[in-house]
Amino acid sequence: MHKLIVNEWTKIFKRAGTYVMIAMILLGVVAMGTLIKMTEEPDQAGDQWRDELSQQIKEDKKDLKDMPASAGDMKRFLEKDIAINQYRLDNEIAPPSETTGWSFIDESSALISFAGLFAIIIAAGIVASEFSTGTIKLLLIRPIRRYKILLSKYVTVVLFGLFMLAVLFISSAALGFGLFGTGDGNSVHLAYADGEVIEQSQMLHLVKIYLLSSIDVLMLVTLAFMISAVFRNNSLAIGISIFLLMMGGNVTSLIAAKYDWAKYILFANTNLMQYFNGTPVVEGMTLGFSIVMLCIYFILFMALAFGVFTKRDVAA
Amino acid sequence: MGTALELKNVTKVMKGKKIIDDVSFTVKSGEVFGFLGPNGAGKTTTIRMIAGLMKMTSGEIFICGKDREKEFEEALGHIGGIVENPEMYKYLTGYQNLKQYARMSKGVTKQKIDEVVEFVGLTNRIHEKVKTYSLGMRQRLGLAQSLLHDPDVMILDEPTNGLDPAGIREIRDHLRKLTREKGMSVIVSSHLLSEMEMMCDRIAIIQNGKLVNIQNVHDEAEAETAHRYFFEVESGYASILKEKGIEYQEVEKGIEMELEKDQVPNVIKMLIEHEVRIFEVKLISKSLEDRFLEITEKGGTTIA
Ligand SMILES: Nc1ncnc2c1ncn2[C@@H]1O[C@H](COP(=O)(O)OP(=O)(O)O)[C@@H](O)[C@H]1O
Ligand SMILES: [Mg+2]
Repeated sequence: MHKLIVNEWTKIFKRAGTYVMIAMILLGVVAMGTLIKMTEEPDQAGDQWRDELSQQIKEDKKDLKDMPASAGDMKRFLEKDIAINQYRLDNEIAPPSETTGWSFIDESSALISFAGLFAIIIAAGIVASEFSTGTIKLLLIRPIRRYKILLSKYVTVVLFGLFMLAVLFISSAALGFGLFGTGDGNSVHLAYADGEVIEQSQMLHLVKIYLLSSIDVLMLVTLAFMISAVFRNNSLAIGISIFLLMMGGNVTSLIAAKYDWAKYILFANTNLMQYFNGTPVVEGMTLGFSIVMLCIYFILFMALAFGVFTKRDVAA
Repeated sequence: MGTALELKNVTKVMKGKKIIDDVSFTVKSGEVFGFLGPNGAGKTTTIRMIAGLMKMTSGEIFICGKDREKEFEEALGHIGGIVENPEMYKYLTGYQNLKQYARMSKGVTKQKIDEVVEFVGLTNRIHEKVKTYSLGMRQRLGLAQSLLHDPDVMILDEPTNGLDPAGIREIRDHLRKLTREKGMSVIVSSHLLSEMEMMCDRIAIIQNGKLVNIQNVHDEAEAETAHRYFFEVESGYASILKEKGIEYQEVEKGIEMELEKDQVPNVIKMLIEHEVRIFEVKLISKSLEDRFLEITEKGGTTIA
């Protein structure tokens, strides 16, 4: 089995496209770093931050009152801001006055869906391209059961996704600490959940952000892989998955504003951050519920992929 | 001679149509078995079922005695082959392609890879990307790939398709070497009779999914003694031939009979003595080609 994975890995890394993907992630990180460095405002430290925060809290509270009941998301966002700022005042924790290596890694997690995009492209091609080039025959006339062939491909795709995440994390850490330093050493992160503010270590917080932000990517990679295995169509797999990657969350929140059943949609459950650092899409959803839903979708995708792939007549 | 491959009543239905209809045959160890039929006859489909790419609707396939369905891994381990075109990863070098394949079989050493590369004569170009290979070279690389794990049964679907005569000759020589030196059995399919005659020991003719005939290629050579001759003659031969007990059939402009070569001058002499006018005497060799055409035309289609 590990030899099959070596085969798949070799095939991915013998293609120029893969290096273009890595270069684009590095480029994204560098562009982000440059932009932040250039627009960075001079340090206005001192004791002013208390007055500023009090002012901010007052404004936020006023906004909150004036807001119509329908603006749920915006309201929650303000509530969180107010709570965290209040916590800072109460506990004498100054807000990070400038960008640090830590905050840069945090911000670059926005590039995760970019890394996810590349993982999706690989997942979409890994089965379909073997059919379109006819090389699937080479794989299937060996004395290896088909499920092993497919499993090795899936494992490779997941490993590739993790590899891309690592590239993103490490490059933004290197650039972030290089450009902005480690900050004043006061590296606690304040998280907000269920109306309470909690202190966390930065490293733990960042790893958590990365992994949790990758869940929707993992599900979409699995979806792309399934479409690739079932329909043997590269573009279809890429198209559907990337469309969902871009639009899935938004469409789900639109539906969720009106209907409760939105909680059964995959994308209502992919963002597990909502349980640690915010409020769920549909009220009453719990972490457990989301994990069960994710497992159901995952098993469904896998059953389809393996069921069809292992039974199909290959006439490529 | 042992049995390398056996098909028993293999049937394949696709989209409600019988593509392969109750096909049975055996291939002996060490022979080159030809699978001949016009385009669309079902050669590739049969080969796909042997190679495990397609399921059978009914029937059984045994490879070196192992059931293809129940003992999949053991059975497939004995097989090597190229189905239709030799597809390769074009962005890899020939060598890297072989390594991909080597990782999928147990115990393929580096020496083995070098050995098969040498065997197919690709040593000079093996580290170049497959993109740059000609069709003939890809065909040879495909052959190398299918030889890596020392299969007992080699399956080649239309191996000469698109090759020039030199390339075809090369494939033929390779097949001969494989069967002679390694005792391998080879199944080749083709829609061209002429090349099958040159490389096969036995030929099965398939048409519309049915096996119509299995023929030893060297039948004619073995049956050296009796040949069929055409005599262009006018009347007056009947009584003398009957008297001598020679069987004949009347055909247009004359008669045909089975004779040994030695008998021919005697028969001519005899006819002349009886004042039968002879205009022409001709050997009719009924080649495999005639038989193939006869068989396939009877079936209602002609070869493309
Ligand atoms: N996937 C398929 N679905 C339905 N019919 C098919 C399929 N593939 C091949 N056929 C039919 O099966 C017959 C045999 O095809 P094939 O085995 O490729 O013939 P050959 O290799 O002898 O030229 C043809 O009539 C073809 O139209
Ligand atoms: Mg064919």
